[in-house]
Amino acid sequence: MIHSIAQKEFVSTLRDRRFVVLSGLVLALLLAATLVGRASYRSLQQERELAQGTVNEQFRNQPARHPHRVAHYGSFAFRPKSGLSLLDAGVDTYTGSVVYLEAHQQNSVNFSQAQQSGSLIRFGEMTVAFVLQLLVPLLIIFLCFGAFTQERETGMLKLLLSQGVSLRQVAWGKIRGLSQAVALVVAPALGLAAALLFTGEEFAAGPDLLLRLLLFGLSYALYFFLFVVGSVVVSARQASSRAALVTLLGLWILGCIILPKATANLGASLYPTTTKAQMDAQVHEQAQHGINGHDPHDQRAAALKAALLKQYGVDSEEKLPVSVAGLQMAAGEAYSAKVYQQHFAALNATYQRQNRLSDWAGLLNPYQAIRPLSMGLAGSDFAHYVHFQQAAEAYRYMLVQRLNHLQAGMGYGDKERRLDARTWRELPVFAYHAPTLGWAWPHLLLPLAALLLWGVGLSWLGLRLISTTSVT
Amino acid sequence: MHTFRILFSAEWHHFRAAKGLVLLCGLLLATGLYGIYYGTTEIERQRQHLATLPELTRRNIAELKEKFPGPADAGDIGYYHSTFAVHHPDSWAALSLGLRDVNPTYVKLRLLGLQNQLYAADNTNPMKTLSGNFDLAFVLVYLFPLLIIALSFNLLSGEREEGVLPLLLAQPVRPAVVVGAKLAFRLVLVLTLALLLSVVGMLWAGVPPDGRVASWLVLTTLYCLFWLGVVLVVAGLQRPSAVNAVSLLGVWLLLVVLVPSLLNLGVAAARPVPQGIALTIQQREEIHAGWDRPKAQTMSRFFALYPQWRDTTTIRERFAWRWYYAFQHLGDLAVARQAAAYAQGLQQRYDLVEKLNLLSPAISAQSSLNALAGTDLPTHLQFQRSAERHHDALRAFYYPFLFRRVAFTHADYAQEPTHTFISAPELTTVQHGLLKLLLSVALVHLLGLGLLCVRPVTPR
Repeated sequence: MIHSIAQKEFVSTLRDRRFVVLSGLVLALLLAATLVGRASYRSLQQERELAQGTVNEQFRNQPARHPHRVAHYGSFAFRPKSGLSLLDAGVDTYTGSVVYLEAHQQNSVNFSQAQQSGSLIRFGEMTVAFVLQLLVPLLIIFLCFGAFTQERETGMLKLLLSQGVSLRQVAWGKIRGLSQAVALVVAPALGLAAALLFTGEEFAAGPDLLLRLLLFGLSYALYFFLFVVGSVVVSARQASSRAALVTLLGLWILGCIILPKATANLGASLYPTTTKAQMDAQVHEQAQHGINGHDPHDQRAAALKAALLKQYGVDSEEKLPVSVAGLQMAAGEAYSAKVYQQHFAALNATYQRQNRLSDWAGLLNPYQAIRPLSMGLAGSDFAHYVHFQQAAEAYRYMLVQRLNHLQAGMGYGDKERRLDARTWRELPVFAYHAPTLGWAWPHLLLPLAALLLWGVGLSWLGLRLISTTSVT
Repeated sequence: MHTFRILFSAEWHHFRAAKGLVLLCGLLLATGLYGIYYGTTEIERQRQHLATLPELTRRNIAELKEKFPGPADAGDIGYYHSTFAVHHPDSWAALSLGLRDVNPTYVKLRLLGLQNQLYAADNTNPMKTLSGNFDLAFVLVYLFPLLIIALSFNLLSGEREEGVLPLLLAQPVRPAVVVGAKLAFRLVLVLTLALLLSVVGMLWAGVPPDGRVASWLVLTTLYCLFWLGVVLVVAGLQRPSAVNAVSLLGVWLLLVVLVPSLLNLGVAAARPVPQGIALTIQQREEIHAGWDRPKAQTMSRFFALYPQWRDTTTIRERFAWRWYYAFQHLGDLAVARQAAAYAQGLQQRYDLVEKLNLLSPAISAQSSLNALAGTDLPTHLQFQRSAERHHDALRAFYYPFLFRRVAFTHADYAQEPTHTFISAPELTTVQHGLLKLLLSVALVHLLGLGLLCVRPVTPR
């Protein structure tokens, strides 16, 4: 019986002209978003790869220079786009794409796409995730708001129940039929996206990408299922189709427009952060005077020199086989990098506290569960961005320290000399490896749990509500 | 006129009886107040952050005075000394935050090459900037249309479905007066809320009482009128309430969500911006090549631009600050064309949006409110130009010390040029926005009235 109800629901939905028009629109938007996403992915990726290649070549082809000059010449780290970011751009638009790596200081990641457009960007971006997260639920609402109310208004529900079917069975049948109709709209677009991802040469189609894509598809399936069940439940509990529609649209506006913005703003108000200028000043202060304020930079430098003289058993700097300046530079870099890392970790912890509020809101609002889950799977969330920042900093630190030790090895009077051009070719260039799903997993647990909880809760509680609903 | 008044007051009684709608208005009022609260605290927070910057400069100077107790080489000071070019918000910014959280509100400047300092980003939480600002402009542009839809999707259809319409039309009253009274009531209600919130916002933010007050109020009124016009059109089609609700929400979705995001894609494709990345890379190449080039070559290129410093002594030593700062500046000049093209490209993107935003009154309204508050891209570009001029002033201040080799004393710190920049409104954008909204309002109302004339109101 459930099967025939599902079949009837599926067929009658397909025959509904409004459904055909709306789903055609959504499908067209999904396809357009996929193609546009790929085009923008390609151009950004090419641009960044080209730029990374250029700066790497520039670094390797430097003339004979003093290593500290090279440390100030530095390099750039460009953030490659993750393959799935063509489906969900996440925070990528609002994060910078390149960071300048140089001695002594950690620079900001600059040139975000949001800075390159006017406030139009604030209306939202047309990506696959945008269509899936906001527009498909609307389609589902339009599809399902009359599921029960119409049957009741036309008196069909009584007839159905007189056949010996329970309300619960009717509900399951409707949910199944409507879910099939939704799948028919969404699956082709996701299929195309998957095909694009796995046939394009530019994507490294490994098991990690496959697994991410699979989970991506499954979580959206669950998300849509929630909306189907939720709409059917609301339809069963409301007296009229009009009331059901208005309630569902109200919930959509609250969950998809108002709450995400409100929680993000509230989080930012609750946990204030400092500016980059303040942070840099504090880092400088602590690097100069010691983290505890009792260990100034000059004393540390003098102590290092004294220790070196003692270690080599000589009485003056000239007789040392190493450059004191180079080793002092290395020690200073180690100290300031440590101070910086502390501040950076504190800043990111504050940001995570700000975002936690929105993540917890996922327990109340499925949109705020699918959003972090989707961008986490796509590799375009805040955690992946921080991963890049840290990889860039790790490379910067390694590079600067290699150069400092090259300087140290030049011995006394290094400032008057240069190292051969060959030296720079032996240093590694920046290569970023995006983290695997295993790394990203802990960040995704809360939103995934929230989504699953919704699924179980709604199926259980919602259907209990339906079975107690009135027939007329 | 008398019938109109009766109908109007009947609407009022209906509204008071509909607890849901009263609650909705109350909620929107509360949301608007939160928007005002958020906007003002956000701007206050930005102000506090900006207020700490002079203190950072003072600490930097104190440190330098300790490091160089006597008269110092100005080259050392220029290298270690940093000041800030600061973009102060206008008080209007609290009502429409625009891009103030996306673009940095200050630039830290040293005497070194400008181009690798100008684009430094500030600390931001990208999740927060992605979610956007919950300011009064958001409430007005995004949420007010939804309130209007909720209040009026069953303007005529509700009466028809409840069977009241046949009774009503049986009275000696023209259908146009019925529709007019119903719309007028909703207009009064919505405008009361919108203008009340705007006035509260203005008082809260402490805006100066100038022409912008009127502009804001007129913009808000026109935008609400536009949405009531859309309601009129949909009511004129005389379909059932559920269809009306779906159509109205469809229009909202189209104008507030789809058109802006599609326009964004189109503009990005039509006006590709020469990447800022390329210019910073090239500037680094130029500056670092300066170390390897013969000093005489660098200096003669510099003197060609600044002949006033030509008679200074030839550099024979391994390092001289004036040579160092000369090639820093030459590095900037080498990419001046790209830098100008980058800023121009961004401005062109904005201008193209301005041309095309007639497609959606929501974009017109939002960009006019941002322009009024001075929080959009053009203001940021102006700030960057002003930071550039400040950097020029700093160079002009330090060059006499460097080229005449005058010692830099503790008293000279106070002589250093300072920078102030306060957002100015983009009044032409506001005027264009007003005109565009007026045009849209006229268009939908004419269409709605035409529909009512063509299709007389049927009781069933």
